[in-house]
Amino acid sequence: MEGVATKKVRLGLIGLGYMGKIHLRHCLNLGSVKLVAVSDVSKKALDFAKKMGAKNTFTDYHQILKDSSIDAVIIALPNHLHTSCAEAVAEAGKDILVEKPLARNVKEGKEIVSIAKRNDVKLMVGYDMRFSPSFRSLKEKIQNGVLGDIQIAYGTNIGAGPFFHRAELSIPRPVPNWWFKKELTGGGAIMDLGCHIINLFRWYFGEVTSIKSYLGYRYDLEIEDHATCIAKFVSGSIGVINVGWFSQESQKKVELLGTVKHAIACRAPENRIFAGIRLLTTKSTQYESSYLRELHYFVHCIKHDLAPTPSGNDALKDLETISLAYKNGVSLK
Amino acid sequence: MSLVSFTKVRGASPNSTRQAILDSLDLIQFQFARNIRNVVIKANMCYYWGYSTGLTTDPKFVATLVDVIRDQVSPDVNISIVESDASAMKCKYAFKILGYEKMARHCKVALVNLSKDESERVEVVVGGQPFRFMLPRTIQNADLRVNVPKIKYMDYTKITCALKNIFGCNPYPKKFIYHRKLDEAIVALNKLMKFHLCIVDGIIASGAQPRRLGLVMASRDPVAIDAAAAKIAGVNARSIRHITLASREGIGNASFIPKGIAPEYFKKRYPRKRVTDKVMNLAYKLVQTVGLETRLGL
Repeated sequence: MEGVATKKVRLGLIGLGYMGKIHLRHCLNLGSVKLVAVSDVSKKALDFAKKMGAKNTFTDYHQILKDSSIDAVIIALPNHLHTSCAEAVAEAGKDILVEKPLARNVKEGKEIVSIAKRNDVKLMVGYDMRFSPSFRSLKEKIQNGVLGDIQIAYGTNIGAGPFFHRAELSIPRPVPNWWFKKELTGGGAIMDLGCHIINLFRWYFGEVTSIKSYLGYRYDLEIEDHATCIAKFVSGSIGVINVGWFSQESQKKVELLGTVKHAIACRAPENRIFAGIRLLTTKSTQYESSYLRELHYFVHCIKHDLAPTPSGNDALKDLETISLAYKNGVSLK
Repeated sequence: MSLVSFTKVRGASPNSTRQAILDSLDLIQFQFARNIRNVVIKANMCYYWGYSTGLTTDPKFVATLVDVIRDQVSPDVNISIVESDASAMKCKYAFKILGYEKMARHCKVALVNLSKDESERVEVVVGGQPFRFMLPRTIQNADLRVNVPKIKYMDYTKITCALKNIFGCNPYPKKFIYHRKLDEAIVALNKLMKFHLCIVDGIIASGAQPRRLGLVMASRDPVAIDAAAAKIAGVNARSIRHITLASREGIGNASFIPKGIAPEYFKKRYPRKRVTDKVMNLAYKLVQTVGLETRLGL
C-alpha cells in the first residue's frame, strides 16, 4: 500500500490559456503529482497538451469531474467562469486551486467560498508572489522586527497585462476578447495585478482600514489599464500600490520603509537565454518557479489534510478591498 | 534613380514634425494634386505595441500629416486611415489601444478595417507565380494613397519598411499563411496596390531598443525608400530579397539619390541589433526547427 509520502496526488486541470500552460508544465514534471486529465474549449490547446504528455483531454470540463480518482482540480479559466466551474468542482467533492482573482466580485467570491465550505473541500487561490522567496523573506523581516515598524510600503506590479510581452518570445499572441469586457473581467489592472499586492500587503500588515485609487486609461478601454492605490492597514502602515499593463518590461517589486531599516524585494523576468536553458533542464524558469512552489504546497496540503493558504476567505477579503478601491476611485480619463 | 529625402524633427512640438514633413516633401519635389477627393493613409500598426516602442506609426505623426494634406489639398478632402486584422491583432482594439480612435475623432478622419471592407478578388503574378488577394474598395477608390511605415528589423526579411507595410493592406487576417513566400507576397501586394507617396515615421526608431532618432524620410518610390531604410539600419539592400524582387518587377528603383541630411547621420545613431539579440533569434529559430517549443511548453 502506498504511504502518504509516496502517494501521488491525482489532479485535473481546467483551462489551458497562459496560466494553464504554466500549470500543465509543472503538473507534468512534479513528482508528487499525477495529471489525470485536462480540459479546454480549444482543440488546438488540447493537442498541445497531448504533445506535452497529457493523457486524457476533454473539451467539456464536466468529464473531468466524473472521474472519481481525481483528488483536486486546478481552475485556470477567465474570471467570469470561476464561479460556475468552482461550484461544479466543489460539488464533485474535489479540492480546488483557483487562479487569482477568486471571482469577478464579492458576491461571486462569497458563493465560491460558501460552496467549498458546504462540500468540505479545500480551496486555495493562486497568489504566486506568496511563494516567492524574496517576498517571503520580507514577511520574516517584518515578523522578526528587524525593520522596525513599517511606515510606508511601495508595491509595484507592472507588465504588458493581457497584451503580449515583447521580450518573452518573438511571436505575439492574440488577446482573448474577454479581457476587453468589464462584465467578464470584473475590473482592470487593479483586479488583474493589484490583487497580488493587496494580498501580499494584507499578509504583511493585516487588514485594510481605508483605500483610495486613481485609475488611468492609457488605452482608452472601459477598464483601467494602470492605477495607483493608497491604502491604510490596521498595523498603521501606509501602502502605495502601483499597477499597470503599460510596460514591455514586467516587474514585481516591494519596498518597505521601516523605522529601523528599509528592505526591497524584486522579481523581474530573467535573461531569455538563461530562461531557455532553465526550461530545458528544470522545466520551469526562475520567474515561474514560485508557481511550482505554490503547486508543491497545494499538493502537500492535500496529502497531509491541511488547510491551504491563501484561502478562499483570504482572497474574498482581497475582493472586498478591490471593490472599495473602485468605489473610492478617481478616474484620470 | 529615385529621390529620397532625409529630414530631422527638431523638438517635440507638432510644428516641428509638420516642418519636417513639409521639408521632406519639398526635397522630393512632391506636390499634392488639387483635385484629390479621397485619401488613404496606411499607417503601420504592430500588434498592441504603442508608438513609444518604435514599432507602430505614431498617431500624432499621422495627425500632422492629415493637417498638411488638408492645408495643401482642401479642408473637405476625405481621409481614411487603414489597417487590417492580423493573426494576433484585431483592428477594433488596435485602433483604440494605439491611440488612433482618439486621433480620428479629433482630426475627423475615418478609420477603416480593411478586413471588414468590401473587396474584390484579383490575381497578380510575381516571378511567374500567381497570387490571389482581395482588393479592398477603400484602397481602390482612393485618388491618393500614402504609405506611412516604420523601419524595423524582422527575422524573415532582415528589415521592413514601405514595401512590407502594404502587406497590412491584405484583408485576409491569417497572414502567417504567406510567411513561406513572404517576399513574393509583399511584392505582389505592392504590384496590386500602388501608393503614390511614402513618408517614413522614423521619429522613434525601433531596432535593438527604441531610440528617438527624429527622422522623417519621403519618396514616391517604395523600393528606393526601403533601400534607404536598409542603409540606415546597416543592412545591405541587395541582400533583402523583397527589395531586389520589387525592383525586378518594376515597382521601383533600388538606387536612390539622397536629399537633405546625409543618411550617414541617421545610420550612426540607429539602434543596431546587439549580438545577444542575434544569438537569441538564432536560438529561437533552432527551437522552432527541432520542435522544442512544444516540449518546453511555449
